[in-house]
Amino acid sequence: MSTENTKNVCEDQVYAQVFKSHSKTVFNYIYYKFGNEEKARDAVQEAFLKLWENCAKVAPEKAKSYLYTVANNLSLNVIKAEKVRLKYADKALKNTHETPEFVLEEKEFKVKLDHALNSLPENQRTTFLLNRIDKKKYKEIAEIEGVSVKAIEKRMHLALKTLRSKIDGI
Amino acid sequence: MQDNYLAKWLNNELTEKELAEFKTSSEYNSYQQIIDAANTLEAPEFNSEEVFSGLKNRQLLTETKVVQLQPFKKFMRVAAAAFILLFAGYYYVNTLGEKVATEYAQKQEITLPDNSEVILNADSEITYSKKNWSSERKINLNGEAYFKVAKGKKFSVETDAGKVSVLGTQFHVENRENIFEVYCYEGLVSVSYEGKETKLPAGSSFVVIDGNIISYTLETASFPSWIKDESSFKSMPFKFVLAEFERQHNIEVATENVNLTKLFTGSFSNTNLDLALKSISIPSGIKFKLEDKKVLFYAEKAE
Repeated sequence: MSTENTKNVCEDQVYAQVFKSHSKTVFNYIYYKFGNEEKARDAVQEAFLKLWENCAKVAPEKAKSYLYTVANNLSLNVIKAEKVRLKYADKALKNTHETPEFVLEEKEFKVKLDHALNSLPENQRTTFLLNRIDKKKYKEIAEIEGVSVKAIEKRMHLALKTLRSKIDGI
Repeated sequence: MQDNYLAKWLNNELTEKELAEFKTSSEYNSYQQIIDAANTLEAPEFNSEEVFSGLKNRQLLTETKVVQLQPFKKFMRVAAAAFILLFAGYYYVNTLGEKVATEYAQKQEITLPDNSEVILNADSEITYSKKNWSSERKINLNGEAYFKVAKGKKFSVETDAGKVSVLGTQFHVENRENIFEVYCYEGLVSVSYEGKETKLPAGSSFVVIDGNIISYTLETASFPSWIKDESSFKSMPFKFVLAEFERQHNIEVATENVNLTKLFTGSFSNTNLDLALKSISIPSGIKFKLEDKKVLFYAEKAE
């Protein structure tokens, strides 16, 4: 983004670049929070449309946090939280030759994990998934959520603790 | 174990000792299992190109709304500007009205809407409004003209120097650089000069040369001599005579050792250049040299 400092988000090229680098994560962020794919897609569109309308007022380096804030605010008003449904890549299963018992166990474990993820507080789930799926560093998640890195570490720690307690039935 | 050690563990930020301790704990296997499973998780599909093109369409829609309004606004602006221009143009043409001008060595007769006559001498210009003529007989003059005014309402001639008003008469007005002349040939003419009004009966004149007012009576003429293609002067400084000569013959005049303030009484022809040159030079005791469109008047000895 540093090379775009002199540019304006109103320029088609800059705008397209901002979309390319952030749209997917904005989508995931909203999805992890509310679990509604369609609404998350709408939120991405709305957020980017708002960015376009205000392109002259938003500096390129501020575009990222602007997008997350707008998408989140829009979603809070319209989205009723639903269950988050995530897919598991099956490559892990193919690569190993496990016993049928083990495969079954693993399947059961994933069902438990899904349940546990859905029962997490929204901010812990979002942090956990942004870190695990989107490979976002704590610092980046802190920027998105507008909190300190320490707070994100806390959420991550608590997320893991809660997941384990739910799965192990403790 | 430090705060948020689970977060630190995922970020490889635990010390070796902490890591060893954590690995021996009973929860370690559970956490490792959760992380292994979580690492195979995938978010729902997001076709960014599709969303982007949808976004572009919506941008176009919002932009179209703006565009729809603009042509009308633009049209109104153009229409308003055109209307103002037309109106101003109409007004301008109506008030300024007619304009008649003569070049050097040219003379022109104009008949006004009420059959009053104007004869314009060389290098002169009049403007008047044809449309408003019946309500106000007014002419702006720059130069020299002879007027034969039909009887009727007040007839006025406005110049930079002064204003001449009459009812029905024949008169001559000259307004050139440093000279303002009014000759009345018939009836009564009122001359307003520098706020002072002077009544001019038939056969008299009002002349201002270089700011000095001179008035005297005419002899026999019933119209200015230039109407008959002759320029006459009575006690006129020589420079004005030469200026008139330039205008009538469209010629460039230069002088050498000639006293330009000396008064000249006499006349010269406006059609015959040779005769005119003699009429000017002989009585004044000077000589001339004619060369194409230039003439030099000179005295052999300094006066």
